[in-house]
Amino acid sequence: MPLRLSTFRNLRPALSGGDSLQWTGNIGQASCYSLFHFLGIVETRVLAVNADPVFQDRALAILDQIEHLETHIVRNLSEAVQALLEENFDGLLIEGEAALSLEQATNLRQHFPSLRIACLLPRGGRSEIARTAREQNIELLSIGWSEFGLRSTLTGFVRSLDAHAGTAAEGIDPCHSLIGNLNQFSAAEILQMSCLSQRSGRFTFKSGRGNSEIYLQQGSVRHAVFGSVEGEAAVAEIFRWRQGRFYFEEGIISQEQTVNRPWAHLLIDNLQKLDETLELVSVQ
Amino acid sequence: MRDKALETKLRLVTLQLENWKKLHDLITYGLDKAKPIISTEQERQFTDVRGNLLQEIEYVLRELNLLSEVSGKAMSVLQRGVSVRGVRDLPDAEVRRLETDWNSVFTKLGLVQGQLKARRKELAEQTVFNFYWKRVLQRPATAH
Repeated sequence: MPLRLSTFRNLRPALSGGDSLQWTGNIGQASCYSLFHFLGIVETRVLAVNADPVFQDRALAILDQIEHLETHIVRNLSEAVQALLEENFDGLLIEGEAALSLEQATNLRQHFPSLRIACLLPRGGRSEIARTAREQNIELLSIGWSEFGLRSTLTGFVRSLDAHAGTAAEGIDPCHSLIGNLNQFSAAEILQMSCLSQRSGRFTFKSGRGNSEIYLQQGSVRHAVFGSVEGEAAVAEIFRWRQGRFYFEEGIISQEQTVNRPWAHLLIDNLQKLDETLELVSVQ
Repeated sequence: MRDKALETKLRLVTLQLENWKKLHDLITYGLDKAKPIISTEQERQFTDVRGNLLQEIEYVLRELNLLSEVSGKAMSVLQRGVSVRGVRDLPDAEVRRLETDWNSVFTKLGLVQGQLKARRKELAEQTVFNFYWKRVLQRPATAH
């Protein structure tokens, strides 16, 4: 059975920890993925939202044909949120009527800021939709009439997910002042503890979703980054992580400042947001 | 190597099984007398799942060549279970019948899903060339 792309991301830090096998170096990350895809070791995971997956299955039938792709199908927003909270996906594809799809995508973007989201819409008459999609960092894919066009659009989207895989990570250094597992302590708990004790330094979080960093200065969050997401959105993302590892390096200060609010405000806002996300699971 | 028809069947059977599981969760909740409150949200979910099953069952079973075998039992479950509250009010004999019919449909769909997955695994392990080469070699000799 092939490994999933997300599983592969989890494996890399362990391999690079002290083993002779180094992923960073002469072999580029992209070429590593291409090689693993070619060998059938890595599998990309896409969550597809489709209200009528039995009868409106043109795109799903094409996704079925793409090698090394696992597609999980859900019918509505509530099921999508549940799936995204429980499992790791490399991308989300929403298919359906334009306004509804975009509304669902916008809703999900608020709760999953770093997720690659694309809406599969029929062609034409959608300048307003395109503007909203751009603002929310949502990709618009055209269904069109030709099977070939749709196939190449979907294949392009799936392949682009591989290219956006997380950056290679270094191993854990024994001199890190705090090391732990997100299964036992949530990000909110450890950040609360560090902020209360007025710490300055860098938190690194590593999970199947990728790596992220939060910089503290005198007990306040100064800067947060997760892939292309920065600031409060990155903090919000890390709050949702329930699996992965973290470590703290004392004294590393960020030159950049992307978070300006006190920690208490961030904590309350993000816990509230998390509650809202969980509410979406039960209420559509 | 992936077979289009097989992938479609597998997708259909997986979606169908998901819905049967959801239906079972709600029926089980309805039958549990220790849980007295049935919310409108649960009733709405039940109606959604039942609606999807009613709409899709015939098409899916025909695609899987199971229509004659399973269709009657599937319809029996869907006709008996009208709502979560309705299931709670069913007489014991009807409840047993409901559970037996649900189990028959679920078992059959599960079996088919397993067979399709096994076939997919088999196909994934061979290339297009190997597939056609095997077919050529296994072709029966023509009688003269």
